[in-house]
Amino acid sequence: MNSRGGRPACLAALLLLASAATARAADGFAVTQIASGVYVHSGQPVALDAAGHDDIANIGFIVGSRCVAVIDTGGSVRIGRALRQAVLARTALPVCYVINTHVHVDHLLGNAAFLPDRPQFVGHARLDAALERSRAFFLKTYGADLQSPATAAQIVGPDRTVALDGELALDLGGRTLSLRAWPTAHTDCDLTVFDSATRTLWTGDLLFVRRTPALDGSIKGWLQALDQLGSLSAQHVIAGHGDASAGLPAALAPERAYLQGLLAQVRAELAHGISLQEALRQAPATDRSQWLLWDETHPRNVARVYQELEWE
Amino acid sequence: MLCRPMGSASRQYGHSGIDRHRSARGYGRAWWLLALIPTLALADTEAPANGAWQLMRGQLYGTRDIGESGDQLMTIEAPASTPDPTATPLVVRFGADLVGKVRQVRVVIDNNPSPLAATLNLTAALPVDEIDLRVRIDRFTSVRAIAETAGGRLEMRSTWVNASGGCSAPPSAAEGGVLGQIRFRAADDNRALQFSIRHPNNSGFQVDPRTGDFIAPHFISHIRLLAGGQTVLDADTGISLSENPTLRIATRQPLSAPLTVEASDLPTQTQYRGTWQGTATAAN
Repeated sequence: MNSRGGRPACLAALLLLASAATARAADGFAVTQIASGVYVHSGQPVALDAAGHDDIANIGFIVGSRCVAVIDTGGSVRIGRALRQAVLARTALPVCYVINTHVHVDHLLGNAAFLPDRPQFVGHARLDAALERSRAFFLKTYGADLQSPATAAQIVGPDRTVALDGELALDLGGRTLSLRAWPTAHTDCDLTVFDSATRTLWTGDLLFVRRTPALDGSIKGWLQALDQLGSLSAQHVIAGHGDASAGLPAALAPERAYLQGLLAQVRAELAHGISLQEALRQAPATDRSQWLLWDETHPRNVARVYQELEWE
Repeated sequence: MLCRPMGSASRQYGHSGIDRHRSARGYGRAWWLLALIPTLALADTEAPANGAWQLMRGQLYGTRDIGESGDQLMTIEAPASTPDPTATPLVVRFGADLVGKVRQVRVVIDNNPSPLAATLNLTAALPVDEIDLRVRIDRFTSVRAIAETAGGRLEMRSTWVNASGGCSAPPSAAEGGVLGQIRFRAADDNRALQFSIRHPNNSGFQVDPRTGDFIAPHFISHIRLLAGGQTVLDADTGISLSENPTLRIATRQPLSAPLTVEASDLPTQTQYRGTWQGTATAAN
């Protein structure tokens, strides 16, 4: 394509490429049906600057009798396309919704792969603003994960949103998805999805299993959200990262212990006038050996928590 | 290019940023910055070398000798790879030979849009042995502190900080509060005191994503610490300080309350004031 021109040209190119891609089988992209009509692709526990960093989140789709809802699309257009092929391989029904559980790249950069389906893109009421703030950063840092040439138009935001603290029901035919928009927790735009037919709870990144939880919102809000999540009755749980087949509330316990330990430790450090620099050097309250990618994540969490709590 | 960071050590999932620095290309429209420090319109050098510092050295210190070695005299410390580029702690410490003698400390972040992060003027009344700043690090850079004693001696120490993802902003939970509210936190022995001012410290490099226009700069430009009505520390600050600008000082002797912080911002020139009344234990 010589044209580096306007949005319509780019969109057309995208549509064309995405369509062409459907003819091929995805290489090694596995999805598992964990409950009737509920398909999950498990992300890999690798760092955000490592090979395969576009395939770290748990993503998937739910098939109703009328249409399909995709829940998160992976960290690249490539992964998004692989997911789309997985949908096409299992059903002829159209994709009517693409739901993003929050703004982070590993859950959202695959959105453009679904543009040919003309779905509704659904997210938290604050997702759009979060995306606007992030778009330039995503383009600069993760441009290689988009279709070349990377364009802002490929970073697709929501056209339907769920009000803060509110719920939205999406009818897929024969099953209803209940979407809930949470107050600031992991990020300021966390959304969970509950499938009534199989009682499957899709937590997004409110739940990390084995991968060190990454805080980009409010630790106090996150712990409150976990209290509420833990009281839900779900048959199946799909975490944002890691295997949550232990179910509720067991799958939440390590993350809750980590966040509670971090909160208590930083709060105590602040009470004793310990500096941020010293706080970053303190031995953690949690046994780090149970967590993956600790060094990439924990120090930043300490810095974030310190800044959140110092105004208490 | 040898010193360029390989890859990006601290890529993050996202960017909850509301306040990101812009590269030097932004200078054309950030007229106010040019007006403030007209001599610092720098080339956009990616190398962590020191274009900014070479320029500033001549202007601030001429050809005077600057000592650069000896950890017993002075150190500067920062995380080699900052976990949070929006709030990177920098700690400057003075050894016994310098404590009480330093009258001015300049902190320079070579590759930031506004390299001179702070100029702190100290007095004999407050012999600090440690100064702790929280700064934004835009990208891989050297950071340096230059201390000048009452006798005119200059000492500089520097270190590298790797940052990636630019100046992403603090979480939304850290936003809000009452503009200008001042919060004190003292160490148990009262030998250290941190004070923070609730303020967005907008750089002016932030672009409103919807209009494409720059959001007006609004930042703490001056901070004074007073004891008994006398200024004991005075700082000129700028946009390289993090949101909610925070200073921490440590001394060998316990600090005695009350200590008052006065701060003002640009361009509104609003004054903010708060007083540390000592900790409960210190009062008893």
